[in-house]
Amino acid sequence: MLEIKNLHACIADDGTEILRGIDLVIPKGEVHAIMGPNGSGKSTLAYVLAGRDDYEVTEGDILWNGESILEMGPDERAAKGVFLAFQYPMEIPGVATMTFLRAALNAVRKKRGEKELTTPEFLKFVRAKAAELGVSDEMLKRPLNVGFSGGEKKRMEILQMSVLEPTLCVLDETDSGLDIDAIRIVSEGTTKLRGPDRAMLVITHYQRLLNYIVPDKVHVLAKGRIQKTGGKELALELEKSGYADFTGQAA
Amino acid sequence: MNVTTLKTKAEGQLREQFDAAAGSLPGTGWVGALRARAMDAFAADGLPSRRVEEWKYTDLRERLRDVPAPASATSKPVSAADIDSALGPLAGLDAERIVLVDGVYSAELSKVTAEATVIELMSLAAMLKKAPAWLEGKFASDSGVVVALNTAFMSDGVLLKVRKDQDPGRPVLLVHARAAAQSSAVAVRNVVSLEAGAKLTLIEAHVALDSAASGALANVVTDVTLGDGATCDHIKSLVDAAGSTHLATWNTKLGKDATFRGFQLTASPALARNDINITFDGEGSKLDLSGAFLARGAEHIDTTLVVDHAVPHCESRELFKGVLDGRAHGIFQGKIIVRPDAQKTDGKQMSQALMLSPDAQFSSKPELEIYADDVVCGHGATCTEIDADLLFYCRSRGIPPDIARAMLTESFIGEAVEKIENEAVREALGTLAIGWLRAG
Repeated sequence: MLEIKNLHACIADDGTEILRGIDLVIPKGEVHAIMGPNGSGKSTLAYVLAGRDDYEVTEGDILWNGESILEMGPDERAAKGVFLAFQYPMEIPGVATMTFLRAALNAVRKKRGEKELTTPEFLKFVRAKAAELGVSDEMLKRPLNVGFSGGEKKRMEILQMSVLEPTLCVLDETDSGLDIDAIRIVSEGTTKLRGPDRAMLVITHYQRLLNYIVPDKVHVLAKGRIQKTGGKELALELEKSGYADFTGQAA
Repeated sequence: MNVTTLKTKAEGQLREQFDAAAGSLPGTGWVGALRARAMDAFAADGLPSRRVEEWKYTDLRERLRDVPAPASATSKPVSAADIDSALGPLAGLDAERIVLVDGVYSAELSKVTAEATVIELMSLAAMLKKAPAWLEGKFASDSGVVVALNTAFMSDGVLLKVRKDQDPGRPVLLVHARAAAQSSAVAVRNVVSLEAGAKLTLIEAHVALDSAASGALANVVTDVTLGDGATCDHIKSLVDAAGSTHLATWNTKLGKDATFRGFQLTASPALARNDINITFDGEGSKLDLSGAFLARGAEHIDTTLVVDHAVPHCESRELFKGVLDGRAHGIFQGKIIVRPDAQKTDGKQMSQALMLSPDAQFSSKPELEIYADDVVCGHGATCTEIDADLLFYCRSRGIPPDIARAMLTESFIGEAVEKIENEAVREALGTLAIGWLRAG
């Protein structure tokens, strides 16, 4: 279970407060969506969950399975099952995708006390997952994300997620910049990972992604706080009315 | 006018060593006169100080305090296994092998199976002893202090020719092995020519045997001439943790429609100066030059490049990447000259350094001298630390920071190493570079 308690966070460099007291609970097995206008703090929340040090938590706590993760580095959080699918995945020239995946999987398995996979085991494991997401062998050989299209990069994020088998999946605007076909592939990949032991937080600006990844709950984030919580129908309402009610401005 | 230059100790040693060795250095007839002229040319200028623009960042006068004596024949025999062990990942390369031990060609350790109708190979020392008139022309365009010293002291090297339209099929691995148990100096000269339409992958591997002493001095000049339509991949690897001084010069001349791809890996000499001089002599030719320089501690690696577009319609690309740790100093000087007639020249140059320590230093001096008016030329230089965003990305995937940093450093170098065309060579040099990075 993810428990976010009265979370306040600011930009470490200049102290600008972005998150102003977030309370949120996501039990295992549930998918929650966070929607909100630009600048509401959605991506900041995603980064703070993953442990990016550009942000400083000034108040509150984040508990994952009852344990505070605030003092953990990003890699330690990943080993505990936290995964962030980036809005803008990074390109790493000179490191083959396969090499990167292997380093990540081995590091995580080692921390979790599992033994590293042998080369044939690893290749078989990754290729099966890659095939489901339409990621070719050729893409796996290329440097990570270099020269990939927007859709390919997002598929690669989902592939990493399915390889690392996290228990808390945070998807930051995974739908941004994708066409309908790409959204479907990415959503199917994500939906496959839904399960009783996994909690998911899907951050999105638009409702359409939630047609594919149907959430158990929808939260509206604006001005650094959760303003409203509802069922999946809340997303449809927002699509009609916009975020004006929460920002105090006409859309 | 009577000019008296205050000689440094090293300059005095070089003169004494030359006078003592002149009688025993290989060569008769014109060779002796050539050596004496070169020595006089060197003596006139002396070792370059930082007041000489090209040597601004590498004050050889200051840095070369003591010159070790020229290497003498090694008493302890060197075996093929010793060479393999020193070559590391390059040992398994399927290649013609030529071995020079302490600057002397070893027929025993060399193994060349290519037909004489494809390549012609001779020891330079053997030819200097015969001193045919045609050989003198090979030294006609010598210039610069380091090359002058090389000409004065050259003990051996190879004369390698790939015949017209021929391709040896596998790379030629030229091993410069340092074996001497006392620190010593070697001067090696290689003269390589590709006749029209010929192809060659030449790898120069500078290695030190386990038994080799530190504090050695090597001066290696390799001249490569490409005939019309010839293609040459020239790769150099120097990985040396034994504190040597390495002065290396490439003089490369491209004929018409020729392709030259060069790569230099320079890791951990005490001091290295890589001079690379490329001249486009025929239209429609391409140059793709890249390299990686890796230094830590107080190591100093200087790459000084001059690309001379003397003719129109040629293309040049340069990418040099450095990883600098400790108090190391990396230098990249890249001059591109575009002569008045060299219209439609397309030249791009990039040098990048990754700084792993706040005390490391990178000096970059790109120079464009453009006299033609219809050209595309550009250069860039960057100096960065490990990208915090990339580091976070790797860590968010569970990769611990030390492994992530190593991975990102390897990725930085990888971009240059990837330019090596031959896959086996690329992998071997990649392994050498990673080995260096992980040894830190």
